[in-house]
Amino acid sequence: MTSDVSRIGTAEPIAQPVQHAGPVSYDQMDDHELLRLHVAGNPDTFGFLVRRHRDRMWAVAIRTLGEPEEAADALQEAFISAFRRADSFRGDAKVTTWLHRIVVNACLDRIRRRQVRATDPLPEDEDRAAELAGPAEEDPAEVRERRLDVLNALKQINEDQRSALVLVDMEGYSIEEAAAILDCAPGTVKSRCARGRAKLLPLLRHWQTTRGGSDDSGVPEKTAAEAVGTE
Amino acid sequence: MTDSGLPTSEHLEHLDTDTIADLIENLLPAPEAHRAREHVKACPDCQQTFDALVQLSEDLAEEGRNDIPMPADVAEHLDAVIVSESVLRSSTVGVHSLVQIREEPRRHLPKLLGAAAAVVVIAAIGVGVVFATKDDAPGGAAGINPTNVPTGVPTLTTKDVGPQAQRWLESSSNPLLHGSAAEIACARTFASSRPNPQLRLVQPAKVNGQRATVIGLQGESARDVQLFVVTGCNESGGVADPFYDTTVTLRNR
Repeated sequence: MTSDVSRIGTAEPIAQPVQHAGPVSYDQMDDHELLRLHVAGNPDTFGFLVRRHRDRMWAVAIRTLGEPEEAADALQEAFISAFRRADSFRGDAKVTTWLHRIVVNACLDRIRRRQVRATDPLPEDEDRAAELAGPAEEDPAEVRERRLDVLNALKQINEDQRSALVLVDMEGYSIEEAAAILDCAPGTVKSRCARGRAKLLPLLRHWQTTRGGSDDSGVPEKTAAEAVGTE
Repeated sequence: MTDSGLPTSEHLEHLDTDTIADLIENLLPAPEAHRAREHVKACPDCQQTFDALVQLSEDLAEEGRNDIPMPADVAEHLDAVIVSESVLRSSTVGVHSLVQIREEPRRHLPKLLGAAAAVVVIAAIGVGVVFATKDDAPGGAAGINPTNVPTGVPTLTTKDVGPQAQRWLESSSNPLLHGSAAEIACARTFASSRPNPQLRLVQPAKVNGQRATVIGLQGESARDVQLFVVTGCNESGGVADPFYDTTVTLRNR
């Protein structure tokens, strides 16, 4: 949704879709418009918003939580919360950023509650694995396989490291943003990321060796000195 | 932590993966960082681990940009949850059962009190006692005052009317009366001309492209609701003119 244009200021009459003849095409409305109509009382536009972004949000939830049932529950909580809090959305942000943050928080809440309850290990759920990879007709086999590899590997590292890694490496939050979301020091986020990567590496090593990169060793040109920089 | 995991002679023993990962994140104290960096430069194995860790971050970022299709059952359930949340919201300013108010006072009372500042009518419909807020309360904010944009006007086709109305009705055990006071009054007049005059649903909608009202009347069995799609109720002084009807059987009652 990079083409999002903030149109919150160019207010058209709220009741426009109601009064116009012909069916309203919510598909053509941008996220801001849909959310604005929702706040104004339209009963349908929030559902459209959910359908538009659910695959993105599902990816975040399933990677963070590992368990489909947990992810589904977290998403439900998140979307209901977004539904009710939509009037607190600030129009200068992207709707996806806002939604994303609510989903992340709902997932982290579940993790915290789970940690308080007990450290019951995540059950292996082989039956749902294929389903988790998504419908076969939608993506090529290697995409689905890679997706499953990552999900399975993520499930094997501890939840703190996993949530830090998902936020920073996979979702592109800065260390500072992740620290604010996770309510811990930036150094803690860095450390969790580093240790999480170290644990993931052997689990995903075959990924890198089968990449068929441009050079024969498959390693990037970046050297230790370049990456670490000067002292 | 394995901060002390650095070997005494950095050129003889390999660094562990944790240490290399810490090095990349600049987490090692300066002297250790220096030694580790020197080692990595000189040791092809550790250099490879270093590179692989950097590559892993990039691979995770690339994978992170991909969506994952939500499983169909999860998506369906989520849709239903959003629909019922929507019905719940619109009925907050319309009709509410005492049970719902008792169960979720935090959520309903503020809005109810606001909307009910004008007139509160306590009406008994069937066996259920309901609170009905008079919906032409003056000065309500947009989204609260039902006469402005109360519950919205969903776009439907006659084919959708049955399944959609069924979902609305199944999400609430109370009559769902939406729309302006005039529209609901028109629906009541229509209902009173029928052999089964008990109103279960009034919902403004655009059906097959024209502004209409979906009216649900209690059917013969408790679980049956007879639906009529009528025109005319949205005009002042209008008379309901049905152009489609169907009966749905609710599953949860």
